[in-house]
Amino acid sequence: MNVLILSIFWGIVMMFSGIALKKKGIATGLAIAGVLILLLGNLGDMSTVVITTSTFNDMLAFRGYNVLFISIVLVATLMYFLVSGREIENVGTGGFDYYALIFFVLTGIVIASSFNNLLMLFLGIEIISIPLYILTGSDKKNLKSNEASLKYFLMGSFSTGIMLLGIAFIYGDSGSLAIVPAPSPFGFSFTSLPTLSAVGALLLMFSLAFKVSAAPFHFWTPDVYDGAPTVFTSFMATIVKAGTFIAFFRMFAGGFASVQGSWGLAMQVIIFLTLLIGNLTAVFQQSAKRMMSYSSIAQAGFMLLAIYAHNDMAKEGFLVYTAAYVLATIGVFALLSRVADPGFQGFNGLAKKEPLLAATTTICLLSLAGIPLTGGFLGKYYMLVATAKAGGPFWLVIFAVICAAISIYYYFRLIIAMYFKEGNPEMAPVSRGLKFWLVVLCVLILALGIFPYEVLLNNLLSL
Amino acid sequence: MSQLVYLVPMFPLIGFLINGLGRNVLPKPLVGIIGSAALLASFVVSLLIFNEVRTPGFSAVTVNLFDFIHVGKLNVPFAFQVDQLSVLFLLIITGVGFLIHVYSTSYMHDESPSSYARYFAYLNLFVFSMLLLVLGSNYVIMFIGWEGVGLCSYLLIGFWFKNADYNYAARKAFVMNRIGDLAFLIGIFWIFAQFGSVNYADVFSQARPGASAHVLTGITLLLFIGATGKSAQIPLYTWLPDAMAGPTPVSALIHAATMVTAGIYMIARSNVLYSLAPATQGVIAVIGLCTAILAASIAIQQNDIKKVLAYSTVSQLGYMFLGLGVGAYTGAVFHVMTHAFFKALLFLGAGSVIHAMGGEQDIRKMGGLRKFMPVTSITFLIGCLAIAGIFPFAGFFSKDEILSRAYAHNPVLYVIGILGALMTAFYMFRLYSLTFAGKFRGTHDQEHHLHESPAAITIPLIVLAVLSVVGGWVGIPEFMAPNAHVLSKFLEPVFANSHVAAPPGEIAASTEWALTIGSLVLIIGFCTWGYMKFKNFTLAEVKESTGLAKILENKWYVDELYDAIIVKPINWIAGFLNNVVEKLGIDGLVNGVGKLVQYGSRQIRLLQSGQVGIYVLLMVIGIVVLFVLQLFFPNLI
Repeated sequence: MNVLILSIFWGIVMMFSGIALKKKGIATGLAIAGVLILLLGNLGDMSTVVITTSTFNDMLAFRGYNVLFISIVLVATLMYFLVSGREIENVGTGGFDYYALIFFVLTGIVIASSFNNLLMLFLGIEIISIPLYILTGSDKKNLKSNEASLKYFLMGSFSTGIMLLGIAFIYGDSGSLAIVPAPSPFGFSFTSLPTLSAVGALLLMFSLAFKVSAAPFHFWTPDVYDGAPTVFTSFMATIVKAGTFIAFFRMFAGGFASVQGSWGLAMQVIIFLTLLIGNLTAVFQQSAKRMMSYSSIAQAGFMLLAIYAHNDMAKEGFLVYTAAYVLATIGVFALLSRVADPGFQGFNGLAKKEPLLAATTTICLLSLAGIPLTGGFLGKYYMLVATAKAGGPFWLVIFAVICAAISIYYYFRLIIAMYFKEGNPEMAPVSRGLKFWLVVLCVLILALGIFPYEVLLNNLLSL
Repeated sequence: MSQLVYLVPMFPLIGFLINGLGRNVLPKPLVGIIGSAALLASFVVSLLIFNEVRTPGFSAVTVNLFDFIHVGKLNVPFAFQVDQLSVLFLLIITGVGFLIHVYSTSYMHDESPSSYARYFAYLNLFVFSMLLLVLGSNYVIMFIGWEGVGLCSYLLIGFWFKNADYNYAARKAFVMNRIGDLAFLIGIFWIFAQFGSVNYADVFSQARPGASAHVLTGITLLLFIGATGKSAQIPLYTWLPDAMAGPTPVSALIHAATMVTAGIYMIARSNVLYSLAPATQGVIAVIGLCTAILAASIAIQQNDIKKVLAYSTVSQLGYMFLGLGVGAYTGAVFHVMTHAFFKALLFLGAGSVIHAMGGEQDIRKMGGLRKFMPVTSITFLIGCLAIAGIFPFAGFFSKDEILSRAYAHNPVLYVIGILGALMTAFYMFRLYSLTFAGKFRGTHDQEHHLHESPAAITIPLIVLAVLSVVGGWVGIPEFMAPNAHVLSKFLEPVFANSHVAAPPGEIAASTEWALTIGSLVLIIGFCTWGYMKFKNFTLAEVKESTGLAKILENKWYVDELYDAIIVKPINWIAGFLNNVVEKLGIDGLVNGVGKLVQYGSRQIRLLQSGQVGIYVLLMVIGIVVLFVLQLFFPNLI
């Protein structure tokens, strides 16, 4: 509850401070302070020091898993502000507005991770989406940015419609907006839903798949990620993605987990397509930025495995995977947003010019590719083991492993460009602070891979 | 004090880090001081620990540092075990190691500062690894040390890496050791599978009820194969003579005094297992004896001063294995100790000679060095007397103990063992005679440069010479003076269980006297023969050797044999796999998959047209297909 209230409050504070404060750099400082306050609030949520205990008639629930997830999101946001603050300010005038929108997105994420009611889910997803349409188009004089924003808005509305339709179906069938299907009056437990509710659940799944850019609902992703200012692409590909994923996870690995018979196959197909299309298409991209957007699709395929498996291991793994993915992607985008040419050739010889930056990016890429000792490896491992343990189809596990192998191709292309090709990349100056925070980021990723319990999972057990 | 045992390996580790990282900035004298001081500190701590351990009633202490591996049932703590055996090895390693470090400061003085620091860094790292090996309280820590010393040995043999032959020798040592390591590793896995633990305490206490004799024989044989690699026994001994490519102090420390005795330590440590596997013991005794004889016979015809000593090391290690094989664990460890003294002394003496001769190692071109280098000459003579086993020098007591136990086991072993001892006496005095006696046979220029070595070299020689004399007095046999075998009493707790499992055979004191005196007379005879025969050797006598001499000179053609039956077939198979299987089979498969992925990528990419209408259409098609699949065929897969 604390984070929800504080994020709304801080969003408004950011909005109005833009009027009074004009100096550069203040916006970022204020935003970082805001995230720190949110983190404090999050700590309060963990230890039941809360502003109010109201849960809006049980429409929201702030309990163990969600609260820990929110703290991952907040830490990621903090790292994001630390490494990208200057870029955010450079997009428009001052950046206060954008920071305000980001805080509103956080509000949406908090709702999306703690809803107990389908309307709350809808509300959360919409609060996340609408500021994003604006952020995508924030580079007002750039045609591509405008185009991306419009595309995103059009397709986003389409998916919103689908979601509402799904909710309507479920409500029409069961007369309830609770996320857990109503128990049978005769005490049976069903493994599938009545048809009308099943249709509703599938529609809900499709719209959420759209939000996390899973195939075949991913088409907006490359265009929007490419068109949006790189710094906001980074935000969308990481924090927002994690935020919508937790909604997906909560809905299907929580509420509908018991009725997998009604959605399991569709989920398998979605996972298969997402892994296939994400990985294969990434192979042939010429632009690192576009490659990263396909990579984000491919990674979503892995994260969906956790929803499919929805056992204890999947729950732990989902946290590790999300944390590792978000941090590593922030790290890669930190470099991407500073290089003039986002094509692969724009990175040639970067290791000679900026050895430290090349090294941190390499660690992030290794984590994304799932090389041991990084959090990414552990996340992938958890996903695969969880799927196998849940009795998921074995071919899917093997297919996922093959896709992870393919992903090495395109992640390593960037590493090869940085280290083994000659060239003199053009790039914006890199401050010492940025370097420091990138190193911290890499340490976090490695720590997550080596001491997952100490860094993260023990908190889950203690909650 | 024993709780502070982690200090012992910590000092060399620190030394390694300082010298290794600062090799480009530290001045030479400082490097030498850091390297030696680390060892001195370790030695002092070891002495203090020894002082605690030697009190009667001391029982083994395990010092847990941290949890190293904790996965499922496998629990490997990073723990050290302080007991009589490990503390004895601590003293040998740090004590002899310190002397050799001091010696090295002078011997390696011509190196550039950075490679001088590199040398000391490697040497400290070696000592650190060796200490891990003997201190570990389970087989995994021992294995870490085992691999560490192997690595350092590789690095130091190839220390002068600009010489391709030296690199080849280093590689050979490494590969040979790896073969043994593999067996050792499998042995450890088997131990874990059998006993569910790799800690010494657990394994040994469960040895009898926990495993059948066959299993124990298998495990012990695998461990022994590991030992043949590290301790240069048949069939994996050929790397040790080649390892003489390294700097001479390295040969003294690693390839004579410490690393090569790791195999003996391992078997002595596992004595409980071995005593329960008599079949393995038989194998060990035979292999040890064969190695002792074979290496001694080769040493007779070698002309390189270091090669002679190398083969004599192989031969002496053979004696130690003979001792282990007949259950004379104390004797074997005793011989490790005395051998460390006199062999280090001999190698360091050889180094002093090589130093004076300006790098010359061929003993036929030396001679008469006695009057130029009195200290080296006298200490070297003491070393020769000790290794030959002359009373009352150190080698006499340890070798006598092994041989008399061999006699109690089986007189045939004893007779062959004595034969080897006679050869040892002969070639050692041949070596001494060719090097120090007679007239100088080198060039005039070399003669001009002959000089006694500086104090940093002669002082370690003197210390080791003293130890080579008195070192044996801790193990005076029962028949000479009752209750005078201090070492045996000291080590009793370590080997107590084995002595219960396989009680040592007894022989009458009168027989022992007869055997001892008889063999002593023979050995003295052979010493004199070897000395007199080569006293007036001249270069004119050198001619193409024939018959047995030629075979011995070519080391029984073992290297050629290995080359023909192992290396060449493996090369052929590797060539086949490379040219045929890889090129035609695997490459096609791998590249085919790659091409398929690229093709698919190009096609799928076209879906991304950029038009919202098409995107929405595709999404709707997707929705319809998924609906149909899920609602009508929910159990499709």
